[in-house]
Order: sequence, then C-alpha cells, then structure tokens
Amino acid sequence: MFGYARKFVAVSMAAAFFAAGAWSRSPRAPRGGRQAVTQVGGAFKLVSPVPNGDWEEPAGDLANTRFSPLSQINTQNVKNLKVIAILSDGIAHGHEGQPLVVNNTLYEVTPYPNELIAYNLKDLSGPVEWIYNPYPNPISQGKACCDVVNRGAAYGDGKIVYQILSDEVVAVDAKTGKQVWRTRTGESTQGQTSTNAPIIVKGKVYVGNAGGELGVRGKLTCLDLATGKILWTAYSQGPDSDVLIGPDFHPFYKKDQGKDLGVSTWPPDQWKHGGGTIWGWISYDPETNLIFYGTGNPGVWNPDQRAGSNHWSITIFARDADTGQAKWAYQVEPHDDFDYDEIMENIAIDMDWHGKMRKLLLHPGRNGFFLVLDRETGELLSAEKFVDSTNWASGYDLKTGLPILNPAKVTHQGVVTTDICPSSTGGKEFVPSAVSPITGYDYIPAHNTCMDYEGLPANYIAGTPYLGADVKMYPGPGGYQGMLEAWDLKTQKPVWSIKDPLFPVYSGVLATGGNVVFYGTLEGWFRAVDARTGQILWQFKTPSGIIGDPMTYIGPDGHQYVAIYSAIGGWMGATAFPSISISDPTAALGVVGAMAKIKQYSPPGDNLFIFGL
Amino acid sequence: MRKWMILLAAVVALALPGNSQVQNAPAGAQPSLEPGYYPVGPNPGYGGTPAVKNEPNPVGDDDPVALASGRRLFVWYNCYGCHGGRAGGGMGPSLRDKTWIYGNTDADIFNSIAEGRGKGMPAWGLKIPQGQIWQIVAYIQSLGTPREPDAPK
Repeated sequence: MFGYARKFVAVSMAAAFFAAGAWSRSPRAPRGGRQAVTQVGGAFKLVSPVPNGDWEEPAGDLANTRFSPLSQINTQNVKNLKVIAILSDGIAHGHEGQPLVVNNTLYEVTPYPNELIAYNLKDLSGPVEWIYNPYPNPISQGKACCDVVNRGAAYGDGKIVYQILSDEVVAVDAKTGKQVWRTRTGESTQGQTSTNAPIIVKGKVYVGNAGGELGVRGKLTCLDLATGKILWTAYSQGPDSDVLIGPDFHPFYKKDQGKDLGVSTWPPDQWKHGGGTIWGWISYDPETNLIFYGTGNPGVWNPDQRAGSNHWSITIFARDADTGQAKWAYQVEPHDDFDYDEIMENIAIDMDWHGKMRKLLLHPGRNGFFLVLDRETGELLSAEKFVDSTNWASGYDLKTGLPILNPAKVTHQGVVTTDICPSSTGGKEFVPSAVSPITGYDYIPAHNTCMDYEGLPANYIAGTPYLGADVKMYPGPGGYQGMLEAWDLKTQKPVWSIKDPLFPVYSGVLATGGNVVFYGTLEGWFRAVDARTGQILWQFKTPSGIIGDPMTYIGPDGHQYVAIYSAIGGWMGATAFPSISISDPTAALGVVGAMAKIKQYSPPGDNLFIFGL
Repeated sequence: MRKWMILLAAVVALALPGNSQVQNAPAGAQPSLEPGYYPVGPNPGYGGTPAVKNEPNPVGDDDPVALASGRRLFVWYNCYGCHGGRAGGGMGPSLRDKTWIYGNTDADIFNSIAEGRGKGMPAWGLKIPQGQIWQIVAYIQSLGTPREPDAPK
C-alpha cells in the first residue's frame, strides 16, 4: 500500500518537475513525464499509457479509462479546491465532452458554431491565443436530435482535430490556429450531423456520425492525419463489403454469424435507413491493435416497421486499426424495442477474471446492464444490472449472448407499453464512466428513469425525423433519478452510490491517482468524492447543469488543475431551454416528462470552470 | 524592372503551398462549399416573396375535421420528431408557447411551413398540398386550447 503511495508521489513530483521546465524546451519535444505512466495501482493492468500532465485524447488515454495518475490533489487536500478561472464562450447550449491541454495551451471546442478556442494557460485572465471558426452550415442546427453539442477534439502531430455539426472533419494547427485540412463526410440535408470526438492512433483519425433519429446510415470513417484523405469507411449495415466484414471476421456467437446479415436481417431495403450511428466513444488497444466502438439504434423507433434482428445496430465492433476490417462483433440487443443505443465507452483493461488473466472490455450499457467482454473474441463474460429498476430483460444468457426478454415490456405499433425501465435515455447515457486501477471500481454516472412507449407508423422523408414513437419518460421507483455508482469489477456488484433525488447524473467521471473521483450534477454541483468510500469531500455549485466530462492537467506552474464545463443542454438537459414547453411531457423525444423541474434548478450556461488548490 | 519583379512574385506565390485546403469529398458526395457561404434567415421556397400575405385560415380555426387532419398530418410528416410529441419542442422550438420567431398569424405560420426557415425547417410548400398546410396551421393554433385534439395527458 505505501509502496504505491511512494510511487504516486514520485510520479507526480517528476511530472511537476518536468512541467516546470516545459516551456523552456523546443515546442516539438515531448513534455517530460507525459504519457510515461504505464502502470498505477494493482487492481488491474492498464493497456495504454495514461496522461501525466497533458490531455491529448478525449478520454485522456486510448483505452478510455478516464483515469489520471496525478495526485497533487488528493483526499486530504481536495476540500481546499477553489475556482481558479471561469472561461465563458457566449454560446448557451449544451457543452458536452472535455477540453484538451497540450504544451501549456487549453483547447475548447464549443457547441455550434463549433469554434476552437486556444487559451493560454500561463495567463488565463489575458487574451485568448486565437479562435478558429469553421462556419458550419446553419441548417445543421435543425438536424441535431439532442442539442447542437460537440463531444471534443483529439491532438496529434501538431494538429487539433474535431468534427463540426454539418459533417466535416477539420484539422487546425495547434500553434497558429490556421486550418490545415477539412474533409466532408456527409450532408446535413440528408439528416446527418457529426458530434462525436475523434481518436488519433498512429497517424490515423477515427470519427463516427450521428442522425439515428433521421434514418441516417451509421458509419465509422478513418482519415489520414496528415492530409485528411478518407482511408476507409465501415458502415453499420448493408452488405458485408459495406461493413468491412471479410475473412478475418469471427463473431463469437452464432446469432452474429452469417453472410450479409446487414441486409438479410431487415425487410427489403429497410437497412438503407438503418441508423446504427456512431456518436459515442471510440477506444483502442495497442496490445491487439484493435479499435472498439458501439453502434446506435436501428433507425425507425417503431419496431414493427423493421422485422428482423436489424444487424448491425446496437452492436459492439472490434476492427483492425489499420485496415478497418472487422475482427469480431457482438450485437447487444437484437431488434431493438427501446432506442437502447450502445455507443457507450468500451474500456480496455487486463484483469484476473475468475483465476485467469484476461483481456477485457468493460461496457456499462444504456440498457442497464454492465457488460464485460473478452476483447480478443467478443465473448460476453458477464451482464449484471447496475440499475435495480431495469426490467426490459431479466438478464443475459452467456451461452447464446442473447438477452432474456420480459414479454410484458416489448413495444409495438399502436400499443402503449408502460413502465419500461430504463427509458430510452438509459440506465446510463453516453456520458463516460471512469475506472481506477487503485480501487478496481468503475464509477458509473447512472440514471433511474422509466417510460411509456407507443410505436407509430413513420414515413421516411430525407432530412426529417424517421421516428415512429410516442414516448413519455418519468423518474423510476425508489425516490431517486440519478446516482454515481461505484461498481466493483471483480465481484460485478455495486459497492456504494451517491443518489440524487431529482435528476439523472448526466456528466462524465474522472478518477485520479489522488483517490479522488470527480463528477457533476444537472443542478450544477461539481463534486470530489473519496474513490474508496464514496464520501463527498468537496462540492461547488456552478451556475448551470453539468453535462461535460472532467479532465485534469499540470499547469505551467507545475500544479494540478481540474476543468469542467458548466453548461446544460444535450438530450435530457434541453428541457432547461426556454424553447421547450413543460406542458408537453412527450417533447424532446419524451424526456420532458422526467425533467420538468430542471428549469427551476438550472438555466442554460456557457462556462468552463478551472479548479485548483 | 518592376514587371520582372511582379512576375517573380507571382511565380513564388504559386510555388508556396497553401495553408488551407478543402479536401475533395469521397467519390459521389457533393463538393464542399466554402465556409461562410450559407444563407441565413427565412429561406423562401417560393422564389423570394412570402407565400401568402395576411390571409386568415381558409379551413377555419375550429372545424373538428380540419383539426383532426392537422394532428394526423403533424405526425405523418414527422413534424413531431423535431417539434415534440405534442409540439412542446425538441430539435425545433416549442409551438405551444408564446414565443413566435416568425409571427403567429395564420399567414405567418403558413409561410414558415411552406417556405422553410434557415436553421433546418424544410420548405414543405414544395412537397405537400396547400390545403394540408392550412390544416396543420389549424392544429398549431389550437395547441393549449380546449379545441386541441390528442392533447397531452
């Protein structure tokens, strides 16, 4: 135990020492200590190095642990955390995602119009370094299902790379703010938007797309980091050639085996509006050279318009990072009845699993089940409920990989099915959890929301919603609608939770080497929690609900800072906007019924808060 | 002497690489527009003038058949997907509240539907008959009143 503590102190002192000298080095030299930390703690093995001063990828590391080894801020001193800076961008829409920190500069991607702002960390009260404005197409504002959000950028080879709402990937020179390249991936007029954050691996950029509520075909696009040229595209449905399924593809379960399932598991041509968009997180495992991500709902929400298992919607894919060829795929929910997109994070760790060291993939699902898979084969090893009220299925059959459905909760056209838990927003939304290799817990931002759901006949009209459902959500039973839950990875059981009576937890989570876990609430509280016990050690009321993801970095002075957006919006948070009426509980795709009180707790906002000791 | 320098400058300028390239889209996709090109504001689908001026709704505002048709079309044409199940808002603004960006007379609402609007509202006047648009106008004007069909529960 003390050995670990000494190692943390040494690592953070090294980071501080190197950070203090960083600005005197040439701009191209890597920061001392950055990305140097390959193992911390003993609960599981990290598979990709975790950031140690900068923050260059959306999740910090490529394996999506959202763990930082930094420990200057720890359980003893976090009660002294104070506001260092409040940075406003004037755009009062949902700020999802997280900023980046590279070479003493903090980079923020704003919601539409997707400005990239470079802040000088040496003087946050002075002028910004520069602002890059990509001028997205204004009609994209009316195609974004869930507010005009952006989930962040990635840094690679001197460039900041991100997506703009109207379907272009842009690369900006990190020093000068000048555009380096700009590549189009789709059309707003067809209903596509682009909201997810890229990851950058070995000179390649990986991005997904959005628009599953408008009948858009989901796809993962791989671009060359130097030129922006599109190298390959992997669709989420269609013939195997579209899905980049070839001789290397070995799905573990029989239900996912067969030729051209992306066509045959749909009524004729229905796959062409098959959704399966990729609007969440992408992770990478250097050990297996595999990219992991999940796909979204199968297009039209009315299940009766798409008989069949609707491959490859709601599927976790593993692809070769170089060629894009699929290695395995696991469809989490065949023939979705509930809009349970499974685009959540897929966290890669190596851990002793029932006596044997295994390469795992952790996926706390929208559907209320915590999935653990073998990331080499796609075998489902465990699926336990992490929200008690989950009732659409009683569990998973690990032999077949299929959920054990509750027949009382299936949905149909013309039938109102009531009390389905979780709601379409899920037992957890896209907002990412974090894992700690010290405690061995996954800290899940969870929801307890249920819904009524009626399928309606829907027409496909390009650029308009292709929905076919009347949905009304409301808080689940038990007196709480949200919780931060610590989930023990060894036992696959909850350890502790901090419950919020009124609203779901809609922020990301950060776990740190100081054994402090950070997260935020929709009322605007930003909290620091003891990673072992769940005790709230510190909290600060920011003015707007928190739907972003906390990150941490070492500043030019060698000290540790934590940054978080305070700017409500997004899907559930849209209820806070003046443009939404709480007299209609079915508005905003049904969330208003669960969120009506939010207008009294959180106005829209536009702030980025930086905290330090 | 000056012409020679201008020629040299031109040659040098051509030789320097541009710092900003708009990449070619993949084969089959539309070429990228230059940033800043997009028009904003009302997007008339009828060639620049408002579709109708100051007309009251020819189907009236309390004919139950028109209201029921308007509600049916509000769902059929996917309006609810953007504007909310009972028009309380979502991707598009609420139609139940007192804020009307482009006005709330029958003609104003007709024009917003027929012409389309700059932040993503399609120009339905190019796609559906005028009579159907008037029925949708009747439904929208009934929201929150006792006439509203299929009101929120």
